[in-house]
Amino acid sequence: MIAYLVNLATLTTIFAVLATSLNILIGYGGIFSIAQAVFFGVGAYAAAQVALHVTPDLLVASAAGAGAAALLSICLALPALRVRDEYFVIASLGLQMLAVTVFTEATPITGGFGGLVGIPPASLLGLPLTDPNAMLAACLGFLVLVLVLTRVLMRGSFGRSLMAIRDNDTAAEALGKNVMVLKTLAVMLGCAYAGIGGALYSAQMQFINVESFTLDQSVLIMAMVIIGGTGTLIGPLVGTVLILLLPAALSFIPGIPPTEIGVVQQMIYGLVMTLLMIFRPGGLVTLRTRRQ
Amino acid sequence: MSALLSLSGLNRRFGGLAAVSDFSLALESGIVTALVGPNGAGKTTIFNLVTGNLRADSGQILLHDKPIIGLSPHRIARLGIARSFQDLRLFGHMSVLDNVRAATEPTSWFWQAGGAAARQQRRERVETALERTGLSGLTQARAIDLAYAERKFLSMARIIATGARIWLLDEPASGLDPRSRAQFVDLLRSATAEGVTVCLIEHNLDIVTEVADRIAFLDQGRKLAEGEPADIMQDKALAAIYFGDRT
Ligand SMILES: Nc1ncnc2c1ncn2[C@@H]1O[C@H](COP(=O)(O)OP(=O)(O)OP(=O)(O)O)[C@@H](O)[C@H]1O
Ligand SMILES: [Mg+2]
Repeated sequence: MIAYLVNLATLTTIFAVLATSLNILIGYGGIFSIAQAVFFGVGAYAAAQVALHVTPDLLVASAAGAGAAALLSICLALPALRVRDEYFVIASLGLQMLAVTVFTEATPITGGFGGLVGIPPASLLGLPLTDPNAMLAACLGFLVLVLVLTRVLMRGSFGRSLMAIRDNDTAAEALGKNVMVLKTLAVMLGCAYAGIGGALYSAQMQFINVESFTLDQSVLIMAMVIIGGTGTLIGPLVGTVLILLLPAALSFIPGIPPTEIGVVQQMIYGLVMTLLMIFRPGGLVTLRTRRQ
Repeated sequence: MSALLSLSGLNRRFGGLAAVSDFSLALESGIVTALVGPNGAGKTTIFNLVTGNLRADSGQILLHDKPIIGLSPHRIARLGIARSFQDLRLFGHMSVLDNVRAATEPTSWFWQAGGAAARQQRRERVETALERTGLSGLTQARAIDLAYAERKFLSMARIIATGARIWLLDEPASGLDPRSRAQFVDLLRSATAEGVTVCLIEHNLDIVTEVADRIAFLDQGRKLAEGEPADIMQDKALAAIYFGDRT
């Protein structure tokens, strides 16, 4: 039971990093991407390769994951951000579908459909993370780093520029902001975070395959951000906890047969998203309206 | 003396519609020029041509004698041309303070260049902008929660904060109550006293007479007349065009 809870907590922490990563794009940048699982995957594969062939150090693996994801994100951002916002959604969907094929076919790097197995347990600065508690602590550490960096950047001029572009890009341009460059930086930052999430995930699972990096996963991450609340630090965390704990909580409710939990869960997500969009479009956690 | 900003022979068509035809205008330093004309005359289109939001089919725009046609809007903004929008385009979900701060931070990087000295300078510009627009007491309010006049002043505060020396204002005083209007006129006067060059689109002829040093009269994309307010205002033919389709 304890082992189960620690594992759940670690996964929740990793998904909190992912939700934060997408929040940079959606919440602060107003850039709707449904390809976040691609960057999660690229980070995971890169980190797994590093762990398998170079070093099991989680810092190195995370840096590799973040770098690989950020690099790939430029390939999405440069062509797609030039066009109107709606097209970015389509472009990201295209990338998501393409990526699943590549993940499945590029056997030498991704292990194909069978995935990469036997990823060695991670270590951090020489300390082994074989103990699940130690791994949880390490993941929490990464989450805190990501959150602190996000807070610093989003409270600073970069965050203001991004939010300005989100609220009105023409006005932002008229104030001298290079919208293309700023949006590209936002996409790179968000995707680098997703790459870190991927690195943590591959270290935690010690096995990864394409099934974790599909469109379903991208939609799940998006649900975390939108249900929790976009454009705040806390919102995506709340969303992550709700969405990951819901199935666990449902399994404790008597009367729902285990085979039906998936269906009930889908219905609840769908209902919650619809109700939120109607009654609380900013998500559960929204900024207070202050007026002196 | 050559003009600070000079537009010459500008043309812009939208399909079959000649929105701006052979338009020329010179903006002199510290002078308020008003663009006056009926709805659809092409006034906003001229602003969009200057700021790079639209590209002229032909013609030339010179800032300090250098051509700026073809530059992207953010580059033109960084050269010191600030504009307001007819529909304001505030950053609705950001606070008043952040709206104004955003106007002082053009660097496209994770932080702004210049270190502590530059930061102090930006802070002072923000404070000045808030004070002059009377928004100092509302810094934490979100832009979408502001009253109409406050929104208009926030759009002005952004422009002041950019530090730009050329302001293109698209109907900044429309719909203002008399008190706010007087406040706006004061604001404009103190800016021009400091040498800011203003081009103003305005339908309210009282305001135009009050603040403008020159008037350019537009109809159907063409400049029909340009001159001192007194002369333009007395022109019966222009008055007929201006009021003709309204009364
Ligand atoms: N992007 C565009 N595409 C097509 N037509 C346009 C566009 N922008 C302006 N027009 C047309 O060009 C003409 C001039 O428009 P403009 O907005 O410059 O007028 P205006 O003088 O600012 O009018 P108003 O006083 O109503 O603001 C109008 O007929 C308008 O419909
Ligand atoms: Mg107009």
